[in-house]
Amino acid sequence: MWERVKNWMETRIGLDDLVRTQVTEYRVPKNINIFYTLGFVAAVGYLIQVLSGILLLIYYIPHPDHAFKSVQLIMHKVPFGWLFRQMHVVGSNLMIAAIGLHMLTVFAMGNYKRPRELTWVGGALLLFVTIAFGFSGYLLPWTQLSYWATTVVTSIPTAVPVVGDFAAGVLRGGEQVTGATLSRFFAFHVSILPPLFMVLVGVHIFLIKRIGISATPFGRQAEEKRPWTEYHKKSHIDGYPYYPRFFQMDMLMVMVYLAVMFALITFTPNLFFPEEATIPANAFKTPVNVRPEWYLLAPYQMLKLIPNKFLGIIIQLALFLVFLLWPFFDTEKEKNIMKRPLLRGLFLFSFILWLILMFWGRS
Amino acid sequence: MKRRSFLKAVLAFLGATSIASFVYPLSRYIAPPANTETSKTLVIAKREIPLGDAMEIVFNGVPAVILNRPGKGLVAISRVCTHLGCLVQYDKENKRLLCPCHAGIYDLEGNIVSGPPPKPLPKLPFRVEGETIVIG
Amino acid sequence: MRYLVLSVMMIVSLPSFAAAGYREDFAQEFLSKTWAGERIEENACIDCHSSDRMKPAFRDIVDEWNKSWHAQNTVYCQDCHGGDPKDPSVSMTHQRGFVGSPSLRQVPEFCGKCHIGILKNYLESGHGKALRSTGKGPHCVVCHGSHNVQRANIDIINEQRCAKCHSYERAKVMKQALFLVEKKAGEIEDGIKALRRAGVYTAEQERALFNTQAEFRTLFHTVDVSLVNERTDEFTRKLGAIEKDIQGTFIELRSRKNFSAFLMALFSGMGIVIFLITRTPDK
Repeated sequence: MWERVKNWMETRIGLDDLVRTQVTEYRVPKNINIFYTLGFVAAVGYLIQVLSGILLLIYYIPHPDHAFKSVQLIMHKVPFGWLFRQMHVVGSNLMIAAIGLHMLTVFAMGNYKRPRELTWVGGALLLFVTIAFGFSGYLLPWTQLSYWATTVVTSIPTAVPVVGDFAAGVLRGGEQVTGATLSRFFAFHVSILPPLFMVLVGVHIFLIKRIGISATPFGRQAEEKRPWTEYHKKSHIDGYPYYPRFFQMDMLMVMVYLAVMFALITFTPNLFFPEEATIPANAFKTPVNVRPEWYLLAPYQMLKLIPNKFLGIIIQLALFLVFLLWPFFDTEKEKNIMKRPLLRGLFLFSFILWLILMFWGRS
Repeated sequence: MKRRSFLKAVLAFLGATSIASFVYPLSRYIAPPANTETSKTLVIAKREIPLGDAMEIVFNGVPAVILNRPGKGLVAISRVCTHLGCLVQYDKENKRLLCPCHAGIYDLEGNIVSGPPPKPLPKLPFRVEGETIVIG
Repeated sequence: MRYLVLSVMMIVSLPSFAAAGYREDFAQEFLSKTWAGERIEENACIDCHSSDRMKPAFRDIVDEWNKSWHAQNTVYCQDCHGGDPKDPSVSMTHQRGFVGSPSLRQVPEFCGKCHIGILKNYLESGHGKALRSTGKGPHCVVCHGSHNVQRANIDIINEQRCAKCHSYERAKVMKQALFLVEKKAGEIEDGIKALRRAGVYTAEQERALFNTQAEFRTLFHTVDVSLVNERTDEFTRKLGAIEKDIQGTFIELRSRKNFSAFLMALFSGMGIVIFLITRTPDK
C-alpha cells in the first residue's frame, strides 16, 4: 500500500531523488554541534504560534468593547481555550528567546561571513518582524498593560523631528491609542506580518540550501582558504546524512522547547501576566509600573538613560543598522571567535550590557 | 538492535499519546457550545402590569423589571446596576430607575441620567404576542 | 565602504545635539510622565486646600481625603460639597452648587445624596430618630469619619464608640447578629484576592460580593437586630453561591495545572527517548 503511494509520487515529482538529495544524502558537517538546530526550533516555534493563533482567531473579537471579554471567554468558558492561549503567550516569548539564542550562536561561530552575508541580513529582518509580531499582538487583549505599554512605545517616533508626530499618528491611527489602533495592530498581526515572515523564512532557507551549511569554525576549513570570488556550494562529503543523525538532534531540541513551554505553563502560568494584564484597559488611569515586555526592556532603558530623545533614537537606529549589516563590517576571514580576542570582547561586552540594561529596566 | 526498536516503540507510543492529547482539546475547542438555558422563556400576561406600573422578574438568573410606560409601551430591563451590581428600583413618581447604593439614576429606557454607572442597563429580548409578554 | 557608512551615521546624529534636550527638561518631561496619554484632571479645591497659604486645619483635609476609600474610587470634593473644581474664582459659589460643610443635623442627608438606600433605613432607625428629635445622636461621621472614610467593616461597632450613649450590650447583640455573614464575606474576599493573584479576572464575582454585602450592610442601618437575624439566612445563601463559584474556579485551575504537567512529562519523556536513540549505536 505504502509502496503504491510512493510509486505514484515518484512518477509525478521524482520523490526518490528528492528524498535522497534533501534527506538521506544531504550531509551535515561531522563536527556539527547542537546549536545548529536552533533555527529549526525557531521555525517550529513559529508554526506553534500560527496554529494557536488561528485557533484564538476563532473566538477573539478585535474591538475595544469586546476584546478583553472575548479573551476572558477563551480563558474560562471555551473548553481548553486556556491551553491554546497559554501556548500562544508563552510560545511568543519562547520563540523570541530561541531566535535570540540562534542569533547569538550564529554570531559566535562566525557563520555570517562571506558568502553568507545575505542569510544574516534575512535573519536580522526576521528578528525585527518577530518583535513586531510580539509588539502588535501585545495590544490585542486590551488590558491595562497592553494599552499603556503600547502608548509608551508608539510615542517613541515623536522624538524624531518633522516626521515624528506623523509617524506616531500612523502607527496609532490617531493621537491616542484607541479602537483604531487595535484594528491596525490586528490587521498587521494577522494579515501583514505572517506573509512577510514566510517570505523572509523562504529566502533564508533557500540561501542556506543554495550555499550549503557552514562548517563549524573549530579548525580552519577549506572554504576559508580561498578568497571567495566565485559561487561554490559548500558540501560535506564525509559528513553525516541529515537523516537520521541530525534529524534526531533537531527533534530532541524541539522536545526540549516543548517541555520548557509546558513547564512554564504548569509552574508559572502567570509569568507573563502581571496584575495589570488582568484588568481591562482604562484610558484615564495609568498603572504605576508601565513597561514593555522583557525583550524590549534593554532598548527602553537605553532610551531612558540618554538625555536627548532624538539622540537616543538615532543611536538605536544606528545600532540596529550596524547589527543588520554586520557581515559587511566584519570581513575578517577568521571564523573562530576564540582566535579573535577583540571580537570576543565586543561580543561579551554587548551581551552583558544588554543583560544589565534589561534588568535595570525592570525596576 | 533490540534496544533501538524498543526505544522506537516507546517513542511511537509517547508520540501517539501527545497527538491524542492535542486532538481531544482541539475538538472540544472547535465544537459549538451545547445549548444551555438560553432557550428558556418567561411568559407573563399583559394585564398583570397596569399602565405606569412595573413587575420585577428573574430571567435566567438575572433580576429584571418589566415596565409599562405611558406613551412608550412595554420594555424589559435588567435590574443589575452597571456600577457595582446592586439592584435598581422603579421610582414611579419620578419615572426613573434608581440604584439605592450610590444613587445611580437611569431613565425608563435604561439610559444613564446621572451618577456613577458607566454603561446603560441592558435590555432583555422580549416580544408581545397578543395578550401575553414573552421574555427570551 | 563601512567607514563611509559609519561617518554618515555620525554626521546625521550631530544635529541632535543642537535639537532640544537638557537634563532637567528631559527629566521633567520624560522620566516623570508617560510619553503620551494619561489625562490628569486639575482640581481647584485640592490645589487651594493643599497650598501653604491655607491654615493647617484645612490643609489636613486633603491629606485625610487622599487616604480614603472615596479618593481611591475617584469621589472628589465637588461630589459631596458641590462647587466647581475647574474654576478657582467661582469654585465655592452658590451658583456652582457649593453647599459647604453640613451641620450635625444635616449630615445624614449630605452623605445620603449618594448612599440613598442607607439614608432611608437610617432615618427610620432609632439612631435617625434620635438625631431628628434631640439634635444629638450617631450620624454618619460619628462612625465613618468625614474625609478619611475607609471601607466599612464590622469593627466600626466597638465599645469605645457605642457606649458613648448607651450600654454596649445592645451594640454587642447587633455585632453578633452581623458576625457570621461578615465573616463569610471576608473569606470570599480572600478567595477573590487569591484568584486575582492566580491571574483570573474576577470582576463578576467582585460585583456579586459587593452587591450582596452592600444590601446586608444597608440593612444594618435600621439598627433592628430581629430584622437582621430574620434575613441572615437569605444573605448566607447568596454568599454561599458566590463561594461555590470561587471554589469551582480553584478546582478548574488545579485541573489545568495537572493537564499541562502531563503534557510537559510527555514531551520530556520523548526528548529523553530520542536522546537515548542517538546514543544507541546503529547497525
